[in-house]
Amino acid sequence: MSQKPIELILARNLLSSLTTPAFLVDDHGALVFYNDAAATLVGRRFEERGQMAASDWTEQFGPADPEGRPVSWEDLPLTKALFAGRAIHSKMHLKVLDGTVHEIEVSALPIFATGGTRGAMAIFWPVEDGPQAGGPK
Amino acid sequence: MKVKIWGARGSVPSPGPETVRYGGNTSCVQVTLDDGTLLILDAGTGIRGMGIALAAEAARVHIIVTHLHLDHIQGLMFFAPAFRSESEITIWGPASPEASLRDRIARYISAPLSPVEVRELPCEVAFRDCPETEWEIGTAHLRAASVTHRGPTLGYRITADDCSLAYIPDHEPAIGASLENDEPDWISGFDLARGASLLVHDCQYTDAEYADHVGWGHSGLSDTLTFARRTEVERLLLFHHDPMHSDDFLDTFYGSALEGWAERGGDPVALELATERREIELSAATDPLGSR
Ligand SMILES: [Zn+2]
Ligand SMILES: [Zn+2]
Repeated sequence: MSQKPIELILARNLLSSLTTPAFLVDDHGALVFYNDAAATLVGRRFEERGQMAASDWTEQFGPADPEGRPVSWEDLPLTKALFAGRAIHSKMHLKVLDGTVHEIEVSALPIFATGGTRGAMAIFWPVEDGPQAGGPK
Repeated sequence: MKVKIWGARGSVPSPGPETVRYGGNTSCVQVTLDDGTLLILDAGTGIRGMGIALAAEAARVHIIVTHLHLDHIQGLMFFAPAFRSESEITIWGPASPEASLRDRIARYISAPLSPVEVRELPCEVAFRDCPETEWEIGTAHLRAASVTHRGPTLGYRITADDCSLAYIPDHEPAIGASLENDEPDWISGFDLARGASLLVHDCQYTDAEYADHVGWGHSGLSDTLTFARRTEVERLLLFHHDPMHSDDFLDTFYGSALEGWAERGGDPVALELATERREIELSAATDPLGSR
């Protein structure tokens, strides 16, 4: 694997310290990191899985429609943020480890640097749960 | 490849009787290739002495700055070749979306901070954004990569004459990362340093000092040693000494560095503290003692 650009390294450092579930993709849309808060949703720590190609992670635990069917990769906020080059905020569904489908809100934003687009990150808020642990009370 | 240290101090020039041995000039390293190509890494106040020492016939020079903190550009205005009409100077540095390299450096080389403006320099001077890829200068192959510091900052790797020099003077790879456990591709600067004949690296703080300076953009001793061991460099030169560190302090610091280095399996002859005017000759099969 090649050296990650500094902007992804710094983004990972930030996301790894958040208690809000977050995903990080590289400039090709490959999943290069998700934090421990996201791991509680998808069932396994990132370190156990390692980097995943766009198609793999979308299929395994990408967002779903209200019936739990996977949303196509092109329609994901992360993908849109990456390739349209703008911030996206939307409501979606996520099928979690136990098979239940939860409504979530997603904010995705592209990561730009002088060298070009580095990737994108997405942060999730479960709609039904209210504020995140450690967040505003 | 010859490497000569003209300034190894971090942050601010620190002249005085207590810093006379290691030197008080800020970052500047001269790299002379076997074919005579001259590269100057950073233009801290150390560049002044080098400009005086450079033969007048060394008309073409490349100054490669890691970033635009004052301790890395302050000597530019006192670089004698810049005041000779026959000089051709190319200044390389990090790109910024905010302004060109020329305009950003001109903020320093202009009134009221300076009595001269860039356009008034009699030499021929060009400013080039460093591509974050690889490029050639003479027989040198250069690579730049952004590294963790404060503001846009590059580290460099220069490969020539069958050896390689990694220069990362301002660097805090340990921030938010585990230098011991993280995979190499997630460690800032790893690829630049990997297996280099010589790594010149930030080591501004003791471990105790670092605890109070996390996020300031510099490294503590243990992190520098761990970074160098993990990247498997052949030699390590500890650089960017804190202005508060006197010669006596640095002597003791070197003792701690040697202990930490040995604990990590390093060969003591491969570890040094950067000292002003020190020259190191690198060759294909680097002999750690082959220096003068
Ligand atoms: Zn500095
Ligand atoms: Zn700096």
